[in-house]
Amino acid sequence: MHNGFAPHLRQRSKAEQAQNFWGTTWRLLRYLKPWHWLLFLSIIFAIAAVIFSVSAPKILGQATTTIYAGVKRGRAMGASVSQWPIDFHKVGHYAVQVLILYGCSAIFSLLQQLLTTQLAQRVVYTLRRDLKRKMRRLPVSFYDTHDHGDIMSRMVNDMDNVAATLQQGLIQIVTSAFTFIGVLVLMLTISLRLTLVALITIPIGMVIVGVISPKAQRLFGKQQATLGTINNQVEETYTGQQVVKLFGDEKREQERFEKGNKQYFNAAWKAQFFSILVFPAMNFVRNLGFLMVAVVGSFLVAQGQLAIGAVQAILQYQEQFSRPITQLANLANVFQQTIASSERIFAILDEPEMKSDTVKKAQPAQTSGPVITFKDVKFSYRPDQPLIDHFNLDVAPRQTIAIVGPTGAGKSTLINLLERFYDVNAGKILLHGVNTQDMTRADLRRHFAIVPQETWLFHGTIMDNISFGHPGASAEDVYQAAGLARADHFIRTLPDGYQTVLGEGSTEISTGQQQLLTIARAFAANPEILILDEATSSVDTRTESLIQAAMDNLRANRTTFIVAHRLSTVQNADQIIVLNHGHIVETGNHESLLAKGGFYARLYNSQFRHALR
Amino acid sequence: MFKIIHRYMDFLPATMAVLFLFGQTVCDLYLPTITANLVNKGILQHDFPYIIAIGCRMLIVAGLGLIAATVNVFLASRQSMKIGAMLRSKLYSKVLNFAGQEMNHFGTSTLITRTTNDVVQVQTVMFQVLRQMLRSPMILVTACVLAYIKAPRLTVIYLITLPILTVLCLLVLHYATPLFHSIQGKTDHINQIFREGLTGVRVIRAFNHEDHEQERFDQVNRDYTQTGVKAYSLVACLFPAMTLVLSLTDVGIIMYGGHMIAFKTLNVGDLIAFITYTTQILTSFMRLSRMFVSLPRASASAKRINEVLETPHSVRYEPTTTDASQQTTSSNPETGQSSVPAIEFRHVSFRYPGAERLALDDVSFKVPRDSTIAVIGGTGAGKSTLIDLLAHLYEPASGQVLVQGRPVNSIPANQLHHYLTVAQQKTVLFSGTVRTNLLKANPHATTDEIWHALDIAQASDFVKNAGGLDAAVQQGGHNFSGGQRQRLAIARTLVANADIYVFDDTFSALDFQTDANLRMALATDPQMKGKVICIVAQRVATVLNADQIIVLDNGKLVGCGTHEELARTNQTYQQIMASQLKQGGGQHA
Ligand SMILES: Nc1ncnc2c1ncn2[C@@H]1O[C@H](COP(=O)(O)OP(=O)(O)OP(=O)(O)O)[C@@H](O)[C@H]1O
Ligand SMILES: Nc1ncnc2c1ncn2[C@@H]1O[C@H](COP(=O)(O)OP(=O)(O)OP(=O)(O)O)[C@@H](O)[C@H]1O
Ligand SMILES: [Mg+2]
Ligand SMILES: [Mg+2]
Repeated sequence: MHNGFAPHLRQRSKAEQAQNFWGTTWRLLRYLKPWHWLLFLSIIFAIAAVIFSVSAPKILGQATTTIYAGVKRGRAMGASVSQWPIDFHKVGHYAVQVLILYGCSAIFSLLQQLLTTQLAQRVVYTLRRDLKRKMRRLPVSFYDTHDHGDIMSRMVNDMDNVAATLQQGLIQIVTSAFTFIGVLVLMLTISLRLTLVALITIPIGMVIVGVISPKAQRLFGKQQATLGTINNQVEETYTGQQVVKLFGDEKREQERFEKGNKQYFNAAWKAQFFSILVFPAMNFVRNLGFLMVAVVGSFLVAQGQLAIGAVQAILQYQEQFSRPITQLANLANVFQQTIASSERIFAILDEPEMKSDTVKKAQPAQTSGPVITFKDVKFSYRPDQPLIDHFNLDVAPRQTIAIVGPTGAGKSTLINLLERFYDVNAGKILLHGVNTQDMTRADLRRHFAIVPQETWLFHGTIMDNISFGHPGASAEDVYQAAGLARADHFIRTLPDGYQTVLGEGSTEISTGQQQLLTIARAFAANPEILILDEATSSVDTRTESLIQAAMDNLRANRTTFIVAHRLSTVQNADQIIVLNHGHIVETGNHESLLAKGGFYARLYNSQFRHALR
Repeated sequence: MFKIIHRYMDFLPATMAVLFLFGQTVCDLYLPTITANLVNKGILQHDFPYIIAIGCRMLIVAGLGLIAATVNVFLASRQSMKIGAMLRSKLYSKVLNFAGQEMNHFGTSTLITRTTNDVVQVQTVMFQVLRQMLRSPMILVTACVLAYIKAPRLTVIYLITLPILTVLCLLVLHYATPLFHSIQGKTDHINQIFREGLTGVRVIRAFNHEDHEQERFDQVNRDYTQTGVKAYSLVACLFPAMTLVLSLTDVGIIMYGGHMIAFKTLNVGDLIAFITYTTQILTSFMRLSRMFVSLPRASASAKRINEVLETPHSVRYEPTTTDASQQTTSSNPETGQSSVPAIEFRHVSFRYPGAERLALDDVSFKVPRDSTIAVIGGTGAGKSTLIDLLAHLYEPASGQVLVQGRPVNSIPANQLHHYLTVAQQKTVLFSGTVRTNLLKANPHATTDEIWHALDIAQASDFVKNAGGLDAAVQQGGHNFSGGQRQRLAIARTLVANADIYVFDDTFSALDFQTDANLRMALATDPQMKGKVICIVAQRVATVLNADQIIVLDNGKLVGCGTHEELARTNQTYQQIMASQLKQGGGQHA
């Protein structure tokens, strides 16, 4: 088993439970720091809104009491009065107070919500930006070893979770907590006894939340884990959809999917059920409290120990009083999930980065010596499998160097090292006599243009794709590069020509045509050193020889590295390096190597042996 | 959204859910009525037994409410998650059966988002609909009715308040919906750029394009953030505005109700109940308004899901009447009539949607059983298109493609792989292990069969080096070299059990030695005896010994025959040969 060497991010299956809850929470909160004044203000506003809205029912209750007082007074006067003597001046006074209170509360809660929206969106903006920036500092090996599906899921789903919580959850804690405190205080000012009666419901509520909530949380964990599994499968089989189809694998994949989907369904509905059940359960507790307050209140009013308005107010508060508990219970769930999500995002942010190259500013001087020197280079992808060892090579300027060798010999690896996608383990690579490790990667790469073995074009027009390596390129430059790469003709036959938009995977053009575009892209960059890694492997030989002729014309002023299996491509090279198992087996030009009758000659002649049966 | 509800909702449980919801609502609303009685009769008339009795009644009503709510939550969560599961599995099977055209039309990443993210959005809202959405109007109506019973004249105040609230909600909905739609589109855009950063990391870095990428990302990110701020700010206005309306209503009730009491047309208890109803009506409005945040997003998601589900399949399956009889004979070439060609193209033409010219133009040829054919032709000549038509990934515009005498469109998609198997030009490996990758082609393959396939594909050496069949295959197979990936894909094709094996330029990354060894092994392997091998290639050396070579040029079949025939008579073939012999050691050929 060799899974050990792949530095996997924490697996999805374990991901639902935050590993370091408080550490991650603290870290997420630190993202709020740049906007601490925003946060501070919105908390203040939230509290203000709570205070105003919380005190309104009390005043409203006083209005009722006033009305009731009038009725009682009227009753005392006897049934003869046609109209109860209600003090409407006082009632009106209370009404205005209520209006003002609610008005202030509305204004403050509006301000608070606007601020929170700003805050939440900005924090998530920063988080997203940081993630993208981080991706920039991660070595290519990270990209090679981690599932893109998993990274995307962190970027999309986990980011969504964090955003939603910041938008709605954060301030709700403040509001809920303050509503609870505020209501409690006000209830106490109205009637100590009734408040105590109402408080009896709290332990009951706590017990209910304590029983249901952990269950819901566990189920939520299971739900997220199974969702992760299904999402991974979707990512994988959609990317390789044609392969799945061609092997008639749809049914099995569908069965596997159904299984996961079913597991998800089972966990999800239960999670949903239990997490929502808290609300009606708490509602019942609230009604219980309601009942007790009503009954006890009635006795007290009947005995004249309490005003009727007080009962009304407490009844109204009773409602507001239990809601925060429910909300807090619910928020605990949401926060668990959010922190787990943040942790998955932070896991990427914590990946070891490439060695920073901000401090190094060495610039190669144009000297007369070799352009590129490999000195005692040692490298391997895995410590247990040495690949390149004691590799030495000098490349004179304006030469064409061909690297040939069987597949897996290490040709692309040399290019990885040259471009510093991977760094050497020992030894050094010099560009114009300067160690490439002492240059910034950007400075180094400015000297190169590459056609990688694996074609990659982005979602955009053909024009933009070709000018990718030379952003200032004029349309003329692009046409010229396309012409040299023999792509011009086919591009012009497309309905939209150079403005044709290539989609994901650029399936609109044939594989060979894609490769022609990558060649044109490298040509358009007009580099000092051109690197072609199997650049024409999917291009037909007629087109290939035309491209080669075009390159031969330009050879005079640039150094070119060519990796190719079609030896026809490398025959004209100044120097052919034959590579096997990461070692140089022999060097020379085509004629001398053929004459030598060694590895190269064997390789060359094998193309004519046993063709198809 | 409604389409989805209509199509995928189970109506019995859904109706039950709504009924129980109604029960809960009635209970919730009945409580204030009882409280009113408590105040009016119990407190004002000092009737203690009545207070106790009514207390018991309240308890029962609250209990019933709890039961109804529990049943409702149960049904609603099951129902909404079921809809989610159903949508997901419908989408999954739909996409798996998509032909090339539909895949190209949508693009992989948006299909992934639609199957995962969008479905979750819809199922979440579906739950809210079953639990909340209907509850709020119900509370509204019931509360209004109960309030009317309590104090008909006081309800006049609602005639002013409710329209204001409705207009408020509609206004916000009107302005927020397009914003949320656009947010969903922008999410796609952000994801696409981020994904490109993953897949294109080497090119982006090699061309020093990282600053530009970051900028592109930041721009979309900013754009997304701004739209988000706008949308949520709009929604944020709703809540305070409602609070204001609530306070106005309360004040109105107190003033107007107070006067009514003064004139003895209203009881104080009724006033209290009335205020409670008002609070409930307004809370339900607020809950409704909170859903306006998720509703527009979910309906955007629903629309995106429907788009996928309603896409017609461009590739059709048309069973023929002779289906059954032909299947028995044709799936086994040994027993079938040898006169039936293994592959036949009859005047096949094909045009990609949106393309001006035909990708294949009136192509006809036959391939007899037990033979090797090769397809050669320039870049963009239509070779892969031909293979894709053979594998029925596309439907020809005209003409017919037959495999073992059967039109491909009469072979069910899940049967076609018994007839032929294809190694595609672009290698796709899945993360996992070498074994899991190879088993994709044939889940029943034994370890020996797998090794045998690896042997033919010249892959066993490096697989052994990497640690055997359980060696890890990382993202896209990037821990293997280009040629090694290609050989793994070839081995995967060989593990499959079919009559026709197609290799679409899959030797391009192999060195000549390996290429030659591979072809040698293919030709001599007993397992390959009696099978049709179809090779797409660029090198004349590769196709030299094929029984039949098909030469394509610009979508037209310009030659068909053996190497000798074509070398004598076919101009295009001669040109191809010339381009290789010129440099490629003419002395040998
Ligand atoms: N990211 C990686 N992690 C681990 N091993 C790797 C990685 N990339 C390549 N290898 C291994 O290193 C060796 C050399 O690979 P490289 O890509 O340099 O070969 P190559 O000469 O370019 O071959 P090809 O002609 O097939 O492209 C191979 O055995 C391969 O399996
Ligand atoms: N999805 C598509 N939409 C529009 N046009 C397409 C699409 N796929 C291919 N084409 C066009 O159809 C023609 C034939 O493409 P095809 O992929 O069959 O070429 P090919 O012979 O396989 O070439 P190559 O050797 O480069 O792989 C090309 O001109 C190409 O631009
Ligand atoms: Mg390589
Ligand atoms: Mg092709």
